[in-house]
Amino acid sequence: MTPSSSEALYELCGFARVACDAALVIALEVDDAGRAAPVASSPPHGFSSFNLARSGVFDVEWSASPDGADKYRLPTAVVDALPEMPGALLFVPAPVEHAPRSGLLLLWTQPAVPTPLVEHVRLLASSVASTLAARREAVRQVAMRDQFNDLLESVPSGIVLFDGDGQSAMINERAAALLACSSGSHRASDLAAPMRALRQRCDNHAELETTYAAQVGNVHYAAIHHWVLGDRTYEVDTHPVSGDGQHGRIWLFTDVTAELRIAAKLRGLAQSDPLTGLPNRRHFEEHSIQILTAAGAAARIVALLMVDVDHFKRINDTHGHPVGDAVLKAVAGRCNDVLRDGDLFARFGGEEFIGMLTIATENEVAVVAERLRCNR
Amino acid sequence: MNSARPPPFFDPREADFRSSSIAVEALMLCALRVFTKTNFYEECVSCFAKLHGRRSGAGKTTAILSHGFGTDQDAWASLRPWFEERFDVISFDLAGCGPAGAESYDFDRHGSMFGYADDLIELIDELGVQGCIYVGHSMSSMIGAAAACARPELFTRMVMIGASPRYLNEGDYVGGFEQEGLDQLFASMAANFQAWVAGFAPMVVGIDDREAVADFSRTLFQMRPDIALNTSRTIFGSDMRRTARRVPTPVHLIQTASDVAVPLQVGEWLAATIPDATLDIIDASGHLPHITAPVEVLRIIEQRLAGILS
Repeated sequence: MTPSSSEALYELCGFARVACDAALVIALEVDDAGRAAPVASSPPHGFSSFNLARSGVFDVEWSASPDGADKYRLPTAVVDALPEMPGALLFVPAPVEHAPRSGLLLLWTQPAVPTPLVEHVRLLASSVASTLAARREAVRQVAMRDQFNDLLESVPSGIVLFDGDGQSAMINERAAALLACSSGSHRASDLAAPMRALRQRCDNHAELETTYAAQVGNVHYAAIHHWVLGDRTYEVDTHPVSGDGQHGRIWLFTDVTAELRIAAKLRGLAQSDPLTGLPNRRHFEEHSIQILTAAGAAARIVALLMVDVDHFKRINDTHGHPVGDAVLKAVAGRCNDVLRDGDLFARFGGEEFIGMLTIATENEVAVVAERLRCNR
Repeated sequence: MNSARPPPFFDPREADFRSSSIAVEALMLCALRVFTKTNFYEECVSCFAKLHGRRSGAGKTTAILSHGFGTDQDAWASLRPWFEERFDVISFDLAGCGPAGAESYDFDRHGSMFGYADDLIELIDELGVQGCIYVGHSMSSMIGAAAACARPELFTRMVMIGASPRYLNEGDYVGGFEQEGLDQLFASMAANFQAWVAGFAPMVVGIDDREAVADFSRTLFQMRPDIALNTSRTIFGSDMRRTARRVPTPVHLIQTASDVAVPLQVGEWLAATIPDATLDIIDASGHLPHITAPVEVLRIIEQRLAGILS
């Protein structure tokens, strides 16, 4: 996990044990409640965690000299790790943020401790504390990374995250599938090619190239665009992390195909006439404005046609409404056949239809109208 | 990461303060905190209370009864009256066991047998007991061994029923289990605890005793499944052979001739390894002879403890 700081703690324990001729030295990370995690020891031993709150170790002011072990209630795991019953012990406090009772525990199996170096072992306290702190931070980082990875995979989007230094990048599994590479950490430069390849595969790649090319070098760039990949469309959101390009950039790929399909369907339903399938009056009103504006700008002629079915009420009264409906459908179909694709032709209401055509000359209007009338 | 673990900011011990009877005690003891620099929790909730200890009996010498995995202190119901006539009897629920087991269990501390041994010593110290008779079943046997190694003066005799210092085979050592089998056991426990109990309980009871199977199933179910899984990992992953070699207390081993958890060779290994040990094999089956063959167990205990009782 953190070879450097863990190894350093083992080294420190080993050094203290040899220097003090101790039977066992344990580096302990101990929280305020006395919960102790033995993070290294000499000789190495597979310790489980234990609690030192009632051991008595924290009830005395430790000086440079060891104390008789019989005054303390040592955890059974510690006694078990010793070759014989403990005779003396010394605790060197090495407080660490969030683990204020941490320190080095030295144990001897004889009651009297002869070596002269013991009184100097306290000099190790600051080294032990800083190494414990470094290890704790590294463990925390790993835990955070694990948590971050879990989070990364729980999001229904592909995520590409470039670090602020521009050196490394991380992608989740969904993004990996899109980019045809493996998930996890990558060198940023190794992801540039797959990203470009994906963009070039898009149906709208020309438009995307232009859009993104204009933003090269802009660290604050934030935008959402649709990348159309065949029958699927991805909403691609890119923005700097924490609003600042110095902290990296994130790309989010969200498959919006289904949403777009539903939206298109709803829009169609809202704008068309269910009986004839023609645009409805609302659609006509919205689009006629666009046509008028466009024609005005291009100085072209716009013609408005009102078409209705004569004596329509009689058809309904004589043959019934189903036949009336069929007539309206037939009229709508025939008119549609005569008109050009760009013409707007809508059901205005009842048996009235309305058309808006862009034409070249005024004569054309009469021609089109007559063609509509005669069409059968 | 181990998904069964509670998030690190959750301290299961906090739950203790919510129970009202302990809260009163907590309030009283909070005052003490001003004078002592020791941990707040440790001062407030006694180990005896936390482990739902029971104390009964007329004798002078103390006998501590510590149950095994999957049961709680009710497992001593058949043996307890005999002990009460002769001893000052203390029983308790191991961390993670009994009706409120989840409150006493700590995934870190109880991830090793030594955590339970620390609990035991704390409880004994708290009650001011010295030189007790310790009766441990199954996992409690090695818990007692670890406690006796650390604090020899607390124990004069130990009775170990269905003890095993290591469940995995290794070289010449026969523990009765292979890693593969244990992995399967853990997997089926994790997949469907209920189904696992239904299969495990009759196997452990070892005889056709419906009541015993029903009782054992009930106490197994009482455990929170993640705690049960972690506890069985701790037990089956333990290697207490080193500890067994050093037990300073005379030990009387009792096991049945056919125990699914403890092969005969294990009892023989312990009898040969513990410096001062006797081994009695009951001609019966099952891992719970104190429940299914109490008369036999008591006969052996009476005989082995004769020197102390007179």
